[in-house]
Parts: sequence; structure tokens; C-alpha cells
Amino acid sequence: MGGRPPTCERIKYDPMADTDTLTRTEEAISLDAPWNVVVHDDPVNLMGYVTFVLMKIFGYEKKKADILMMQVHRQGRSIVWSGEREKAEFYVQQLQSHQLKTSLEKAE
Amino acid sequence: MKAMPTLEGGLRIDAESPNDWAVLRSIVADAGATNGVDLASRLGALISEEAGSEDWHEYVVPDLREGFQDDLAQVGANIESAIFEVDGAAGPVWISRADVFPWYSALNQARLSLEEVFHFGPDENIDPASYPPAMRAAYIRTRFYGTIQELLLDHVMR
Repeated sequence: MGGRPPTCERIKYDPMADTDTLTRTEEAISLDAPWNVVVHDDPVNLMGYVTFVLMKIFGYEKKKADILMMQVHRQGRSIVWSGEREKAEFYVQQLQSHQLKTSLEKAE
Repeated sequence: MKAMPTLEGGLRIDAESPNDWAVLRSIVADAGATNGVDLASRLGALISEEAGSEDWHEYVVPDLREGFQDDLAQVGANIESAIFEVDGAAGPVWISRADVFPWYSALNQARLSLEEVFHFGPDENIDPASYPPAMRAAYIRTRFYGTIQELLLDHVMR
């Protein structure tokens, strides 16, 4: 990522006022890449529990949660959610509080 | 030891001897056997520097640690109270729906700690007969904890 984010500028001018008022508003559009919430396999957490936690935290339907759980089991890891960093951090914290091995990665 | 679902949607575990109470007490003891690095720190170690590991260790890991310890304290108190009720003789310990998450957490912490210490690995690769006695006993406990977790998942957490 490089360069300055796009901005927009508004200038308010009141001809009746004794003094000029200049208001500048800058709107920054985030160009950051999304962050991935990654659940890793471990030999302890029960498969049914991983599905249960994914349904509870993300509100996924059982079918989707099962698919993600099987990815964790078979491939060793699964990206269970992608999006803005703050929300991703929240989800990682939630998953770790349920004792799932979870990391946060910047999406490529 | 017997375990069965209750009509109220919880689980009842019947300890039939002092030895059964000792096994139930070992949940908390096993959860604390961490090889010097506790579960919260091990989870925190999964966060990379790019993802903000320093802040994670400062702000999130202590919260996780406190939550895990609270769960163990609650389960330990439940077990001690059940033992006190029957003066160490045969008797039940009740896991209500409201208590299920601390119980699941405590059992999971115990299994994660035993895995950290003994590195049993996936079930299909395990041959308990080849283990030394302490490791074999730990493996039997981890299987027992896992069985109770399955009952909680199937009958209480749904």
C-alpha cells in the first residue's frame, strides 16, 4: 500500500459574516487489505465442538460450520472469516476464549 | 463412575468411590500442569508481530487467563461441594445447563495441558500399552475427560 488515501474537501463561505469560516472535512477511504481469522487444527478440540463454536460466534449455519471444521481437520487450517482488522481481532479473541487455536493474518 | 443426562437438560456424574472423586479432582490439577507456559500464553503465541503480538500479550492474554482460571475455580468448587455433601462417600455431582461452559472449559483445559505435556497426538496413532505408567494414566484421564465433553456437547450444549 502506498500513497495518500483519497480525500474530499468542503469549503464553507458565509459572505454575511464578519469573519470567514473555513471548514475542511477529510474523508479517508481505507485501502487496507482485509484480515483473515484462521483456525488451526489440534488433536484435542472435538470436531463437534469446533462446529458448535463457529455457529455460536459467527452465526453460521451448521452446514457451513461443518465445512469449515472439516477444512481445519483435513488441511490443518481454515480461514473462517475475513474482513476489517478490528472485527477480525474481536473474533480471534472470541475463538481463543473458547480455546481454539486461532491466529490473525493479513490477507494476500 | 457413571454419567447420565438429567430431565432438566443437564448432566449428572455419579462418583462411586473415593477413587472416582480423585479422578474428578484431577480435572483441575491436570489443567494446571502446563510445562511452565499456560494456555492463555500458548494461544497468545499464535499472534504474529505483524498482527500485534505485543498488544495481544498486554491486553488480551490476561483476560483469557482470568477467564480460564475462573472456570477452573468454579468447577473445583462444584466438585469440592459435592464431595462435602456426601462426606467423600458415593454421590453425584450435577452439571446444570447454566454451568456447562465452565465445565466444558475446565475439561478442555485439562486435555490441552495433558497433550502439551505428553504429546499423545491424534487418536489413531496412539498405543497406550507402550506408554510408561504415568503417561498411560494421563491418557486414560484424557479419554475420560473427552467422554464427558462428548456427553456435554450431545446432551447439554444443544
